[in-house]
Amino acid sequence: MNPSMKRAIPTAVVALIAILIPLFLNDKTVYVQTVLSAVVVVGLSLFMGYAGQASLGQGAFVAVGALTVAVSTVSFNVPPLIALIAAPVTSAGLAYVLGLPLLRLRGHYLAFGTLAVLLLVGALMGGVPILGGGAGIVGIPSLGIGSLVVTGQLFFAYLALAVLAVTMVVSRNVISSRFGRGVRAVAGSESAAASSGVPVLRTKLAVFALAGGCAGLVGGITAFFIPYVSAESFPPSMSFTYVIMAVIGGLGTLWGGVVGAVVVSVLVQALNTISNIPGTPPIVGLILQYAAYAIILILFLLYMPRGLWPTVGDAVKRRLAKRVKRSQTDYSDQHA
Amino acid sequence: MLTLEDVVIRYGSATAVDGVSISVEKGEMVALVGPNGAGKSSIVNAISGVTPVASGTIIVDGASAQVPEGRQMFADMSVDDNLRLGAWRVKDRNPAAIYELLPDLARMKDQKAGTLSGGQQQMVAVGRALMAGPDLLLVDELSLGLAPLVVADLANYLIELNASRGTTILLIEQEVDLAFRMCARAYVLEAGRIVASGASATLAADPQLSAAYLGGIEAAADRKRTK
Amino acid sequence: MNALLIYVVSGITIGATYALIGSGFVVVHRVTHVVNFTQGTLAVFGGLISYSLLSFSIPHGLAEVLAVLLTGLIGLVFAFVTIGKRGTPPLTALLITLGLSILSEGIFVTIWGQAPIAPEGLGGATVLLGASIENQRLLTAGISAIAFILLGIFFGRTYLGKGMTAAASNPRAAALVGIDSRRMGFIAFAIAGMLGGLAGVVTAPFSPISFSSDLPLALGGFAAAVFGGLSSPWLTVVGGLVLGISGQLVAGYFGGSYQTVAALVMLLVVMIARHKSLSAEEAK
Repeated sequence: MNPSMKRAIPTAVVALIAILIPLFLNDKTVYVQTVLSAVVVVGLSLFMGYAGQASLGQGAFVAVGALTVAVSTVSFNVPPLIALIAAPVTSAGLAYVLGLPLLRLRGHYLAFGTLAVLLLVGALMGGVPILGGGAGIVGIPSLGIGSLVVTGQLFFAYLALAVLAVTMVVSRNVISSRFGRGVRAVAGSESAAASSGVPVLRTKLAVFALAGGCAGLVGGITAFFIPYVSAESFPPSMSFTYVIMAVIGGLGTLWGGVVGAVVVSVLVQALNTISNIPGTPPIVGLILQYAAYAIILILFLLYMPRGLWPTVGDAVKRRLAKRVKRSQTDYSDQHA
Repeated sequence: MLTLEDVVIRYGSATAVDGVSISVEKGEMVALVGPNGAGKSSIVNAISGVTPVASGTIIVDGASAQVPEGRQMFADMSVDDNLRLGAWRVKDRNPAAIYELLPDLARMKDQKAGTLSGGQQQMVAVGRALMAGPDLLLVDELSLGLAPLVVADLANYLIELNASRGTTILLIEQEVDLAFRMCARAYVLEAGRIVASGASATLAADPQLSAAYLGGIEAAADRKRTK
Repeated sequence: MNALLIYVVSGITIGATYALIGSGFVVVHRVTHVVNFTQGTLAVFGGLISYSLLSFSIPHGLAEVLAVLLTGLIGLVFAFVTIGKRGTPPLTALLITLGLSILSEGIFVTIWGQAPIAPEGLGGATVLLGASIENQRLLTAGISAIAFILLGIFFGRTYLGKGMTAAASNPRAAALVGIDSRRMGFIAFAIAGMLGGLAGVVTAPFSPISFSSDLPLALGGFAAAVFGGLSSPWLTVVGGLVLGISGQLVAGYFGGSYQTVAALVMLLVVMIARHKSLSAEEAK
C-alpha cells in the first residue's frame, strides 16, 4: 500500500461515519448546523491560522449569504439554485471589497474592525425594510430546480457534508499551492513576506474572500434550511463561537476547524441536554449554558493554546517516533 | 562579592553559556570581555535575575544593579523620574546624592531621557543603577555606540567610583583595550566558555590569545579609527 | 438651539462613559498589550452591583463607591485569569477576556435576570441656558472629569503610577530596576475595572443596563480608545466626547436607529485612517 493511500484511510473512515450518523438521528438540525459551522470555521481557520489574522465578525458573511438568498428569492423571484450560487459569490465579493480598507488593520484592530462590520450588518438588517426590517424575511421557497423541489432534513445533512468536503479539498489545494506558501509567509512575518515578493495585502484579501465565500455559502444553505432570516439570526455570540471553534480545534489546520466545530457543538448540545433534564433548577441550566462553556473555552486557551488537533497530533507523533526509536536503539532514556 | 559556579544558560535548545565560573572580590573592578554573541549579556542578566540559569549557582553578596546594554531609558520620562525609578527596590528615592556625584545630571533633570545624547543617556543609566545603592555594579557595554571622548569620561567616572566608594564593578565590554585599561583583572569569554582569565596586562601580552579571541588590541584600535 | 444644547450635553455624558471605558482599555493595553474585552462587562457589573447595594438600603454615595471598588476587585480576578499564566500572547488573552465576558453574562442573567435595570440616581433636572438637563447626567460629566484628573495625577505624579508607565515604555529596563511588569498588569486591570465600574454606576440611572449592554459599551469605549491609539488617555477623552456628541446629533436629527451605524462607521473610519500608526504600535 502506498503512503498516500495509507493516509486516505482515516479520512475515508471519518467520512463514512459522517455519512452514517444522520441516518440514525430523528432531528438532524444540530447535525446540519454543526457541519455548516465546520465549513465556516475551516474558512476562518485558514484566515486566522495561515494568514495570521483574527476576525470576530465572520457571522457578517454568513448573514450576507443568507440575505442574498432571502432577498433575491422573496423580493425578486430569483430561482432558488441561482440564489444559492449567488450567496457565496456575494459574500466573497463583499469580503474582498471590505477587506481592501479593513485588512490594512492588524491584530486587535482587525478583530474589532470585523466585529464592527458584523454589528453594522446587523443594524442594517434591523433597519432597512428590504433586508427584513425588524420583522425578518419569511416565505423563502424550497431549494430545487423548476418543479423539482427537495425538502427534508436528510437532504440538507448531505448537502452540508458535501459542501464541507468541497471546502476542505479546495482549502487543501490552496494551502499546498504556491499561493498557499505566500499565505503562510504572511502569517510568519508580513515584512519578511513582503520583502521576498509576496503581495501581502492581495494574499490576505484572497484568503479573507475565500473565508467569506465559505461563510456566505453556509448562510445561503441556512436560509433555505430554516427558511427565515432576521437581524437576530446572526448574533455576535455566533461569530465568537466560530472563533472559539477555530481556536479550540487548532488554527491553521484544516482538520482542526472540523474538530473544533464538532467538539464545541457536541459540548453545547450536551450542556443543553443536561440543563433540560426535568427537575434541573433553571439556575443550574443557566450556569451550565454560559459558565461551563466559557470556563472550558478559557481552560483551552490557557492550557492548550495551539488547539486540540495540533496538540493531540503531535503527542501521537511523538509516541510513534519514540516507539520506533526504542525498537532501533537503546537511547530511549535520553527522552526521559 | 560575586561568585558564579559552573553556570549554564539555555535559550530553548541553544546553550548560550556553558559552565562559566567567575569570582569577583569586594572592591574589585573586573572585566568580562569577548566577541559579540559570546554570552556576556546572558551572564549579567542572570546575575541581575532577569534570565534564568539552567544549572550552576550565582551568589551575590549584597545588592546588585545593572547598567544595561543600549542604556534602556524610560524615554518619555524625565531624567529625574528615570533616576527615582532606579530606586524601586529601596526606600531612599531621593536622587540628591546622585546629582552631587554627577552634576551633569542635575542640569538636565527635567529633560526627557529620550531626547538626550547617547553619552548623556549612559550617564543617566549609571545614575539610575546607582540609585539602588548597589554593592555590585554590572555595566553592560559601556562604550557601545559612543564617541571615544565620551567613553573616556564615563570610564574615568567609573574608575573613580570604584576607588572612592569601593563599589565593586563587573564591566562587560567588547572594546578589549578599554576594558583592560580600566580593570586590573579580566575574564575572556568565547562561545559561552571562559577561555582565559587573569591579570589584564598578562592577557593583553599573550599574542596567541589576542589573535585568536580578542581580534588583537591593534585591530580594536583600527576599528575605532575607522568608525 | 435648545434641542442642539440638549444633544450636546447628553452627548457629553455618553461620551464621558465611552471615555471612562476607553481609558480602561488604554490603561490595560499600555502596560500589558492586552485588549481587555471585559471592559464593557465591568461597566455592567458596576451598574448592577450598585443597584443591588442600594436595594440592601446601603446609603447613596457609599453604595456607589463600594460598587466601584468591587468592580476593581473583579478586574483583578479577570487579570489573574488573563495574564496570570506567563507567555500568553495578546491575541489569546483577548479571546480569554472574551470568554470571561461570556461567563459574566451568565452571572448577570443568573443573579439579576434579563430585564434592563436602572439603579436610583440623582433625581430631578436643572435648567441650563433654557434647556432642561437631568441632574444625573450633570453628575456623570462631573464625576468623569474628576476621575480623569485623578487618573492623570496617578500616572503623572505618583511613584506607583510612574512605575506602571515605565513598565509600559521599557519592560526590559523596568525589570532591571525591579518593577514587576506582571504585577503592574494586575494593578492596571484593577484600575480598568474601577473605571469601567464607575461608567456603569454613573450612567445606569439614566441609561438602564442589562446583561447584553456589555458589547455596545465595550465597542464604544474601544472606539474612544482608538482615537488615542490605545495608548493616550487624553486623546481617549477627546475620542469619547467626539463619539458621544456626534452620536447624539445623528440620533437627534436623523433618528435613533442611525446612532449605532454612525458610531460603528466612525470606529472603522478612525481605525482605517490611522492604520499606519496603529499597526506600528501593535508591532511594538
